[in-house]
Amino acid sequence: MKLAVPETKSPDKTSSVLGKMFRQNIQTYAIILALIFIWIFFAFLTDGNYLKAQNFSNLFRQMTVTAFLAIGMVLVIVTGNIDLSVGKLAGFVSVVVAYFQATIWTRVLPDQALAAATLSVFIGVAVGALFGVLQGYIISFLNVPSFIVTLGGMFVLNGAILLVTQGKTIPANQPYFSVIAQGYLPVAAGWILASLVVVYLYFNMFRSRQKKRAHGFVLSNIYLDLALTTFFAILVVGYVYIVNQYNGVQIPVLLLAITSVIISYMANNTRFGRYAYAIGGNRDAARLSGINIRNNIFYVFVLMGLLSGIAGVVLASYVGYGTIAAGQGYELDAIAAAILGGTSTLGGVGTIWGALIGALIMSSLSNGLQLLNVAPSWQYLLKGLVLVLAVYADVTFKKRG
Amino acid sequence: MNDDIILDIQNVTKKFPGVTALSNVSMKVQRGEIHGLCGENGAGKSTLMKILSGVYPYGTYEGEVFYNGEELRLEHSSIRHANELGISIVHQELTLVPSMTVGENVYLGKEPVEKKSINWNKLYSDTDKILARYNLDVKSQAVVRTLGVGKMQMVEIAKALSEDAQVLILDEPTSALNEVEIKKLMEILATLKANGVTIIYITHKLNEFFGITDSVTVLRDGETVTTQPTRNLSEERLVQYMVGRQMKERFPKGNRQPGEVIFEVEDLCAEDPSDPSRMVVNGVSFTLRQGEILGIAGLMGSGRTELVTTIFGEYGKVTSGRLILEGRDLKINSARDAIEHGISLVPEDRKGQGLVLMQSILKNISLPNLNQFAGVFSLDKDAELEASLYQAKSLAIKAPNLQVSCNTLSGGNQQKVVIAKWLMSRPKILIMDDPTRGVDVGAKYEIYKLMNELAERGVSIIMISSELEEVLGMSDRVMVMHDGRSNGTLDVATATQEKIMALATGINSHNHTSN
Ligand SMILES: Nc1ncnc2c1ncn2[C@@H]1O[C@H](COP(=O)(O)OP(=O)(O)OP(=O)(O)O)[C@@H](O)[C@H]1O
Ligand SMILES: [Mg+2]
Repeated sequence: MKLAVPETKSPDKTSSVLGKMFRQNIQTYAIILALIFIWIFFAFLTDGNYLKAQNFSNLFRQMTVTAFLAIGMVLVIVTGNIDLSVGKLAGFVSVVVAYFQATIWTRVLPDQALAAATLSVFIGVAVGALFGVLQGYIISFLNVPSFIVTLGGMFVLNGAILLVTQGKTIPANQPYFSVIAQGYLPVAAGWILASLVVVYLYFNMFRSRQKKRAHGFVLSNIYLDLALTTFFAILVVGYVYIVNQYNGVQIPVLLLAITSVIISYMANNTRFGRYAYAIGGNRDAARLSGINIRNNIFYVFVLMGLLSGIAGVVLASYVGYGTIAAGQGYELDAIAAAILGGTSTLGGVGTIWGALIGALIMSSLSNGLQLLNVAPSWQYLLKGLVLVLAVYADVTFKKRG
Repeated sequence: MNDDIILDIQNVTKKFPGVTALSNVSMKVQRGEIHGLCGENGAGKSTLMKILSGVYPYGTYEGEVFYNGEELRLEHSSIRHANELGISIVHQELTLVPSMTVGENVYLGKEPVEKKSINWNKLYSDTDKILARYNLDVKSQAVVRTLGVGKMQMVEIAKALSEDAQVLILDEPTSALNEVEIKKLMEILATLKANGVTIIYITHKLNEFFGITDSVTVLRDGETVTTQPTRNLSEERLVQYMVGRQMKERFPKGNRQPGEVIFEVEDLCAEDPSDPSRMVVNGVSFTLRQGEILGIAGLMGSGRTELVTTIFGEYGKVTSGRLILEGRDLKINSARDAIEHGISLVPEDRKGQGLVLMQSILKNISLPNLNQFAGVFSLDKDAELEASLYQAKSLAIKAPNLQVSCNTLSGGNQQKVVIAKWLMSRPKILIMDDPTRGVDVGAKYEIYKLMNELAERGVSIIMISSELEEVLGMSDRVMVMHDGRSNGTLDVATATQEKIMALATGINSHNHTSN
């Protein structure tokens, strides 16, 4: 019998282990390479302006709304569903939030800007989550396909946006509220945060080794583990270094990072997440394993609604007002980001981190093309091409690998 | 013996990431013979056959294959190419499109065309001819989904025969067939042989080799052990070649002492979900004692699988009946309820219902058992790995590690993963629907041993099996089903294959009842 602990790696074979890791994660690496290629390409065309601190900082800020939607979309697609309503839901939340600020808080909570901003956030997220509850209920308990339900939801929300705005633009630019998408951490705070993260990374590495040892598993090569941890530490420090040259760590990016860590943890380390992947992989096998498929899919849509709510709040804060066009087409960006990040349209496969990189690719493209003053028509055209090309490259890679 | 070699495989090596499935395999097949191929799960049988049939085209393996004296180079659209050269294969796993008719499936990819459009009349009449020629009781217009597994297997074979094959490869064709169907298949193979077709035949039911094959090649761990004329072999010799050591008995002696009745099924009736007027389970009653192994025998379609899936809460509507566990009435509406009450089911169809194929062995084994490792917001993944490793080891699952996805495993190893998954759930009652289907002799023995151990520890087991020897070798009592009803329960001490067959075919209804 040939069974070895997965982490078995003998010290003298570090290079072959690296090679194997590379092959197993070829998809992830391919997309990171694509991102780097895009960055270099635009940096070259803009005489380096593209990667200067200010633009670099904006690039990440720009991706946040799509990214919030994309990380939820991963779980939706993983379970074999789709959500076409997320763009309009984020848009609807943004106009609701703007409406409360422009017309209600001024009357109910005059001169209490902080309370007003907090309540706005709360209401925005709640509206998103509630809509998720509604759609999730219809999909999982009334058995209407998610494609149909969320297509309907998209129309409904479009109408609702028109009702709330009455066709006008509503401002949402109270100072406290604007911080959500436009604020920055002070430079020192950024550094403290970075150090905490780095310490945690190393701590976590040693703790997990210790646990493995306690279980009697063969440990992976310590140098390999150290190298990987150090690599991530450098990424964090490097990022903070760059954005600190501009205004500091962007609040919306920080929010996104925290949310992503939570969702990714849920996806990998809770029953809820594991069941979602199993349902998408083989519904019958999941059912016969005693998984409550309805509940699981219901919660996935509630989570998607919640994330759309967050995205809507960030959107309102980012643009500073709510308009009838808010969130238009964002669902497609989110789906594209998830798929660029390796989520399989057939279900069962996909990662949160992949979707983040996917979202970053989308925003890197838009940002670069805008810098170059490329017409919107060409922006769409290029984005579409990149999406298909990336998936094509992925398919070919996989065949060979 | 004449020396007309139709297939000459020379030093073939095939590697997958982390696994060498075949290393330097050589094998010669005489024209017109039935050549058996045997070996343990994961020995490389299917892989070798996939090379011959173009699933792994020329260039993806090392070594040479000569077919009719010329090197076989299956390149572009290699599967079709193999077909055109006269090599047909019936794969181990079913490859039919369930939503299409039998005729559409048989002619899939080679539909008779007239003026650019499909000639449906010809397609169906040709299918009928093939079905009639081999005496298969299937209608060409029937939708495949509505057929039982046994009939589907027959359709697979008809599909392979629709081309004029010179070489027909059958990869475990009988694993889903009952005795009657197997007999029919053997007749078909004899006819084909008489017509000059060369057949390569893979099975884990070793006695089948002695009925029909002329010679047998044994593979072990991806290497050729030997090729011998069948008449020089015996079952013991074959096993010895396969596993590399002697095996004295096929069924381990257990020391079971069944206790009190723990589970009772009373007058259970369930209707067919697609046809509510039909009762698939029709008034079945039985009892199960603690630490007992109850065998359920019966032909395909006798309602065995439906009975156990109904008990498990996952079949059509239960119209009447009671389930009583440890003196209490159970209400089971879903697999979840059943598992909560300590009832587990190893399902019949490992690919469709047992496994999430794209996921790792680890995730599959732990899927129904995550509660064991779950805190409120977390999973103890190290504990999960440790427990899964333990199961994988005790079942001798052959894989480089537990992270490989299940679709790279050999059929028998996939089956072991499904069993591992349910063993981990520590059930009170373990229902196993054909648990050793496609499992090699050595591993079967391991599974039997595990069943004995479980029973000795007080777990009650319900085992469906199509192999009469297995039913007789492993059970304490045998319930025989026919047409949705229990046709009698035999004590194993007095049961014989003949008695079981008589009850299963419905002759002698309601005699012999001993319980
Ligand atoms: N696509 C694949 N990727 C990786 N490994 C594979 C793949 N297909 C087969 N293998 C491995 O190759 C070995 C031989 O598999 P194969 O399916 O040929 O076995 P087999 O003799 O047919 O077994 P069984 O009796 O269980 O059907 C196994 O270890 C299996 O895990
Ligand atoms: Mg096989």
